[in-house]
Parts: sequence; structure tokens; C-alpha cells
Amino acid sequence: MSNGNPANGGAERCTLCAEPPVIRLREPDRHLCAAHLIADVEERAALMIRERELIKPHDRIAVAFSGGKDSTALLVCLTRLLPAWEDVSLVAITVDEGIAGYRDDTIRAAEEVTKKLRIEHVCISFTDLIGDDLDTLLIGRETQACSVCGILRRKALSVAAHKAGATRIATGHNLDDEAQSVLMNTLRGDLSRLVRTSDADSHDCFIPRIKPLAGISEKEIAAYLFVQDMFPFLPECPYTRHAMRLEVRTMLSAMEQKHPGTMRNLIKSKRAIEKHVNWRAVSEPLRRCRQCGDPCSGELCQVCTLRKSLGK
Amino acid sequence: MKIILSYSTINIMQEDPVSITSILDKLTINPSDVIVSRNGKLVPEDTLISGDDEIRIIRIAHGG
Ligand SMILES: [Zn+2]
Ligand SMILES: [Zn+2]
Repeated sequence: MSNGNPANGGAERCTLCAEPPVIRLREPDRHLCAAHLIADVEERAALMIRERELIKPHDRIAVAFSGGKDSTALLVCLTRLLPAWEDVSLVAITVDEGIAGYRDDTIRAAEEVTKKLRIEHVCISFTDLIGDDLDTLLIGRETQACSVCGILRRKALSVAAHKAGATRIATGHNLDDEAQSVLMNTLRGDLSRLVRTSDADSHDCFIPRIKPLAGISEKEIAAYLFVQDMFPFLPECPYTRHAMRLEVRTMLSAMEQKHPGTMRNLIKSKRAIEKHVNWRAVSEPLRRCRQCGDPCSGELCQVCTLRKSLGK
Repeated sequence: MKIILSYSTINIMQEDPVSITSILDKLTINPSDVIVSRNGKLVPEDTLISGDDEIRIIRIAHGG
């Protein structure tokens, strides 16, 4: 509580105006009111988009929109920033995995948001894609839930984005997600994954993927939505989460709390490594799946491998 | 004061002002994992709370 008013513990007002603060941010240490938090988040996202040229004139952006907080924040933020680019349109894509007691609520929430923001919205289900919902596909293989779901979700998104005529796929990955991935890939010794998961992470389809919120922390995103009455209070996915990501997450957020800037520094390290990487040594030659023709690194793509193992 | 944490409510008998940080600390909650509202309005964790304040601790993490 360094810069606070002793009578109030923290700061009585926003560092930039006279309104009450809603959040304290570090680097630099500041307290922001709701309006200044919203402006701060949107300016940083806009800067990230400009600096990395994530969006170009005439782009049609498919936003991977689960209805959860990250993708809701992404959609709200892009909707506001949209007028800054010439002739750019948005389409929200929601993938219905078919998870009983979980997905119905989140899809309803997603529909409300796109209606409110007046964004074109399409849904694609695992049943459309592979003939069964996730619950059915996972019978007897529940422990593989997240990997099966991840492979199919990626494919569904790509199929729906192609169909919608999208030129980019935007995902809601935030700073915490990015830092966790860097650390996880490092801990696994997976250098090729470490350097390949960047902006141009477009291995499975030819539509480039962009992550406009990659510089915004999870907490800022939650606060950004809460002050706009858009924080989604939704149930958690019933399938168990990736154990290692959970461990890494707990560890990293404890570090970040003690040493502000830890997550940003991890990402900085990764970018530094990328500059010195011998790309030929880490990238596998791009091949085509012999079943479906999608670009992949082996004989069969992940989706076809999965189909085979599911007997589909 | 009343503390609401996800679905359970904790009542704390406390007259003197106390910072949200110290409450989170007692509950072993990392401030990065939550946002906190006082009487429905979002506040920074270094805010002092007291008396009849109703504090809601909202977990932001969904993992994965
Ligand atoms: Zn302000
Ligand atoms: Zn294939």
C-alpha cells in the first residue's frame, strides 16, 4: 500500500481523475476508475493489434466465442475498436461441444451477448462435425477429455471460420494463458512448441490466428467486464482440467503477486529466444493428411487420428 | 461485515477497518485469482472495509 491514502488504506481516487478506483495495477503502480480501466484495456489491445499488424483493411474476423470471460472481453473490445479499421467485419463463432449441464447455459449467455452487441453469430456443434457430442465421444475415455475436446474444437472453429468467409480467427488468450504456455512448454522441454505458439500459430488451417488480448492480464479482463455488467457468472466445465496447467497457473500467479512483471518477463524471454531460433531445426516440414488433405506434420492429422481411434 | 465467497458466506465480526488484502491473506486467496466488490461495486484490494460492508470475492479463474 505504497501510494495509498493512509485513511483509506488504498487510493481514494483514480490516478487519472476524481472517480473512485476499481482496480490497482502495477508497472506502473496506479489505481484506475471504471472508465479509465476500460480505456486502458482497449488502448493496449489496439496497440498490440497495430504493432503486430494483427488486423488489415477488409479483414473478416471470426471471433472464437465461448461465452466465457476472455472471449466475451475480446468481442466487446473488438466491437469498440472496429471503426478504427477500414471495412473490417466480425463474426462470432460458438462451438457447442455437447457437454450436458454446462454448455446450454454458456450458449444462451453467448447468444445474449452477440444480440446486445449486434454481432453476427454462428454455432457449430461436435455433432455437426463428427456425428456425436463430446459426452458420447468420451464414454470410457473421460481422462482424455481436454485433448479430444481441444482437437475437435480447433477443427470446428476452422470449419466454421472458412464457411463464414473469415480471413482471421481471433481468440481470447490473455497474458496469463500466454505466460503459462511458455512455462509449460519450457518445463516439458518442447522447444518447437515454445516458439511455434506465437501469433502465426496457423498450423491447422490457412486462416491466421490472432490474440489481441495477449498483453492483458486475466484479472484486468475480469474487471473490464465486471464494471460493464458483462462478467459471465457461468459454471465451470465438468471435465477435469489439465493438471499441469493448473499447477503452473498457481505457481505463476503467486510469483506475479510477489514479483510484478513475472508473466510479462516470461513472454519477453520467449520472444528473445524466437529471435535466435534456427527455424529449420524446430519446424517440421508441412505435409498433407492422407485422409482429409489438411496440412499436418505427420501421415494423418490429429482429427483423422482421433476419428480412427473413435471408430468414426 | 459480510464476506461472500462464491456460494458460501462468511460473517466476520470486525468493527475496525481492515484491508481486503489482509482478508484475502487470511483466506489464503491470491489476489490475482479474484476480483472483489464492496456493496456491489468493484474495488481495489488495498481498500479498507468496515462496519456493514458486504464483500463479494469472485473467482475469475476457470483454468484450461
Ligand atoms: Zn479515472
Ligand atoms: Zn486429416
